[in-house]
Amino acid sequence: MHSFIRPNQFVAVKLPSDQTRIVKIVPDTIVSLGKYGNFAANQIIGRPLYFTFEILDSRDETGYQLRVVTATELHAETLLTEGEGEGDDVETGEDGVPMRTNRETIDERTTQKLTVEEIEELKKEAGGAGREIVAKLLESHTALDQKTAFSLAKYTLRKRKKYMKRFTVYPLDVSLLANFLLEERDASKSMELRDEHIGLIGCWGNVHHSGNVEVEPGMKPHGRYFIVDETGGLVVAAMAERMGILYPHDAEEDLEDEEESIPIKDENTEEAQDETAPKKRRIRPQPMSATTNTITVVHAYSQPNLSLLKYFGYDTNNPDESHPLHTHLKTISWMQLVDPSSDPLYSNEPPTLPAEELTELKQSKRTNYYHKRNRWERVKNVVDESRAGDFDGLVVSSLLDPASILKTLVPLLAGSAPIAIYSPTVESLVQLTDMYSTARRTAFIHRKREMEESTPEGETPDLSSLYEEFVVDPTLILPPTLQTSRIRPWQVLPGRTHPLMMGRGGAEGYLFHGIRVFPTAQNIQAAGNVRKRRKIDSGPTSTSTPISDRDVEIDVLV
Amino acid sequence: MPSPFLTPSATADADGLALLQLRRDQIIPTILRTYDDENQGYLEGKVTNTRFGSFPHSTLIGKPWGSQIVASKVDTGSRGRRNTAKRKAEELEGSAASTPAEDEKPELKTAVAATSGFLHVLAPTPEAWTLSLPHRTQVVYTPDYSYILHRLRARPGSTVIEAGAGSGSFTHAAVRAVFNGYPETAQATKKRRLGKVCSFEFHEQRVGKVQAELKDHGLDGLVEVTHRDVYEDGFLLGDPKTGQSPKANAVFLDLPAPWLALKHLTRNPPSGESALDPLSPIYLCTFSPCLEQAERTIRTMRQLSWLNISMVEVAQRRIDVRRDRVGLDTEGVRGATLYPKTVDEAVDKLRSDEQRAKRIREHRANRENPDYQPIVEDLPAYKDAASDVPSYALGRLTHRTEPDLKTHTSYLVFAILPRDWSEEDEQRCRQEWPSEKIAKPDDKPVKSKKQMKKEAALERIRIREEKKQQERDGQAAGAGQTEGEVQPETTEAEIEKEVKFDEMTDA
Repeated sequence: MHSFIRPNQFVAVKLPSDQTRIVKIVPDTIVSLGKYGNFAANQIIGRPLYFTFEILDSRDETGYQLRVVTATELHAETLLTEGEGEGDDVETGEDGVPMRTNRETIDERTTQKLTVEEIEELKKEAGGAGREIVAKLLESHTALDQKTAFSLAKYTLRKRKKYMKRFTVYPLDVSLLANFLLEERDASKSMELRDEHIGLIGCWGNVHHSGNVEVEPGMKPHGRYFIVDETGGLVVAAMAERMGILYPHDAEEDLEDEEESIPIKDENTEEAQDETAPKKRRIRPQPMSATTNTITVVHAYSQPNLSLLKYFGYDTNNPDESHPLHTHLKTISWMQLVDPSSDPLYSNEPPTLPAEELTELKQSKRTNYYHKRNRWERVKNVVDESRAGDFDGLVVSSLLDPASILKTLVPLLAGSAPIAIYSPTVESLVQLTDMYSTARRTAFIHRKREMEESTPEGETPDLSSLYEEFVVDPTLILPPTLQTSRIRPWQVLPGRTHPLMMGRGGAEGYLFHGIRVFPTAQNIQAAGNVRKRRKIDSGPTSTSTPISDRDVEIDVLV
Repeated sequence: MPSPFLTPSATADADGLALLQLRRDQIIPTILRTYDDENQGYLEGKVTNTRFGSFPHSTLIGKPWGSQIVASKVDTGSRGRRNTAKRKAEELEGSAASTPAEDEKPELKTAVAATSGFLHVLAPTPEAWTLSLPHRTQVVYTPDYSYILHRLRARPGSTVIEAGAGSGSFTHAAVRAVFNGYPETAQATKKRRLGKVCSFEFHEQRVGKVQAELKDHGLDGLVEVTHRDVYEDGFLLGDPKTGQSPKANAVFLDLPAPWLALKHLTRNPPSGESALDPLSPIYLCTFSPCLEQAERTIRTMRQLSWLNISMVEVAQRRIDVRRDRVGLDTEGVRGATLYPKTVDEAVDKLRSDEQRAKRIREHRANRENPDYQPIVEDLPAYKDAASDVPSYALGRLTHRTEPDLKTHTSYLVFAILPRDWSEEDEQRCRQEWPSEKIAKPDDKPVKSKKQMKKEAALERIRIREEKKQQERDGQAAGAGQTEGEVQPETTEAEIEKEVKFDEMTDA
């Protein structure tokens, strides 16, 4: 929970100009906000988030230089207009004609009597964090009385943004980071992912904390998700936030998972304790050792790009062992997943040394030995459990062709596991949706049945030509849905309510989602159910899949 | 009971909720039973009848989630004529003695014919539940609630207040967002807050239905439903005056007049205890269909010191993907437009039509001839362009917005209330973090681990060299030859060696 500003935490500082800066609040340092001034980090550490501070021109006796701007002050203007009651309508004369319009306003700069030099002078002299300047500016505007209430409000706001030395501290969470990347950084790097889609991906992907249910032997562990993320880690962060493993101070929640991974560590520590005898070692959680509530990131290069996680206290190059992501975030490359034998890390097991040989080794050699063993074990565990499948969901925002991802990962999903794929543009997802079209599914089913019938009894049909024609098996996902969502922000002010005039263009953002299902034909063979086997025996007309076009229309058209 | 929404088992279990998906947006929720709980008198026990056939629950229970299930031939007509008591006894006997498959043996012969229908049995999710739930009030749909919960920062361990409960779609989504463990199984030693939803509803009948539903869904420990008029009595749990505070972090108000409830959502309400978490900022969202409601809500929010007030509406569209086929070769193809697809094709058609007309004219002229023969029609050129492209891949891939569009759901007003901050808090903070204490500005760029190792190695080499130097100096002092000594250069290889050594000891 973000209850106060923690030391060494990243926060977002919003400036009067609506700019956002991401700042790490390091104790005993000075934070500089450019033309809006500087302040000591210690003056905001421990204070509540969402407070607006004003940088005063003079320090008090303890050196304190900030003033908290109250909510009433922030809302002062609107509260005043609202106080005037119904007067917030456009002022009208006797005959109902608006009294003040912009008919008479003079469109030139001469109306502001203060010169640039004078304003500069004021800036040097004036205290009160720019309030005086704004007041002076308003005073010396000759045509102020000609302004309508609306344009006056706009003028005051504009000037205030320019001269007020205020800032507001926001917690750096996924929503804020996404907006920051969108507005102040290269939006294409985060695939122009907006709040709407982060929410949708998480919901359609059914990503959530897996709870505190003990996983007994034979039971399926809960909450294992595949993520393919090429936004620099934004999607991973968003999903980790939903799973309660993103923020380091959530760590205390994950005690039980550490307990689960103890057996692996015990071996190591016991062996290690043989010679370091009484000295008790701190049990270090092995990376990627959690069994439930985990994210498995599949990446295209040898290392995943998850650099944005640093804002949440997890630097992938120098991981913090106490961070929940240390144990709950697993990474695997496409090669390790599809063809693990090509990966030397996986296939070359470092030889195990007997204990007596180990004790003879030098300290450095021994640590090196453990290092290699642990790394191999880690890779092996992650690869093996990933290839074993039974994942609870798949979330994708990737540059890779979505069909190629689904071809590989859908078979590794548990039944009823959701699939959610985000793309900034619609084309790739339109193509993907077409791969699951009714016509294609029907053709696939017919083709497959033909092939199965033409192979002699007892042999497994060669379906490779089928999968050449159909990149993905269209019977494995239902109902393939394509969706987009966009919010429209409004300005709500007394008498001046309307949608905002300006917005962000760029990619619209689309989401494909569906659910992993098992077609019956497979089930019959796997389950060996008496009733269903009989149906196979009775010939092709009684298999579960629809035969006539009419059936397809009714049943498959979803 | 663990909830199938949050921690589903691998298969569809008896007495749990399962969602039967017939087609897109057509989902039937049902509680799976091994017995005929509604006493409908089917031979197969409990049966769900759909437009695609009848599905005895014995064919659903134990199947992996996501399985396609074939409809069974169920005798739905004659059951009224049978003796209920006798049948029930038989069934009890049957289910006790044998597996469901054997139980159905008499039905098997007829089941063969019932092959024209199927459905998929899906594990419940809030999304699927939202599509299938029994409507009591306006439902908050996925595009809205996903955005709202994201903006409300409803995360594992949060407490969310919801008023009113309505049809329960938001309730289910909210409990998934905050869930981080069941209270019954949580160990007392752990210092950890469990996520919770506190739902308030003033319609008594709806309260009962929501409560029954949540119990069926295994969510009753995670959601506390209170029958309450929140305008009057606020948000405390139990008794409205002396009850316990839910200590909420996020609030969602789906009420006709949210501004009337806001007075109970302050840090220091006159009535007594605050319903809000004193240690965290409060995220609020109200959901009002009309602009007037939203404006009035915002006015009250400003008076009550809520910050970051913003209003948005969510516009979502679902997109249909189709293949549009146009061409003269599409005669008889369903959904295709019979129309030339290119100018060439149009010209071809006109030309061949013209030639045909000419031939007919000529023919007509010599119809009286004794050796008259009827015209042999040959297929026009544009029609015999047979292609080997399968029919599912023909035509141009297009997308358009689905025909029925929800263009407005509600205005969403968001606001944040920071935590309370007293003068004592501030003084305590100033003591802990004295503002005059400023460290030397740290200009040094942050070093990578590798570089630090390298530097440490360099440092060690330097110290070693110094030692050697001193030794040599000691020896040289007698000889009086300290000047002019050439410093041995540290080579790359040496550093490399040192770093390696370092790595080994580190690991």
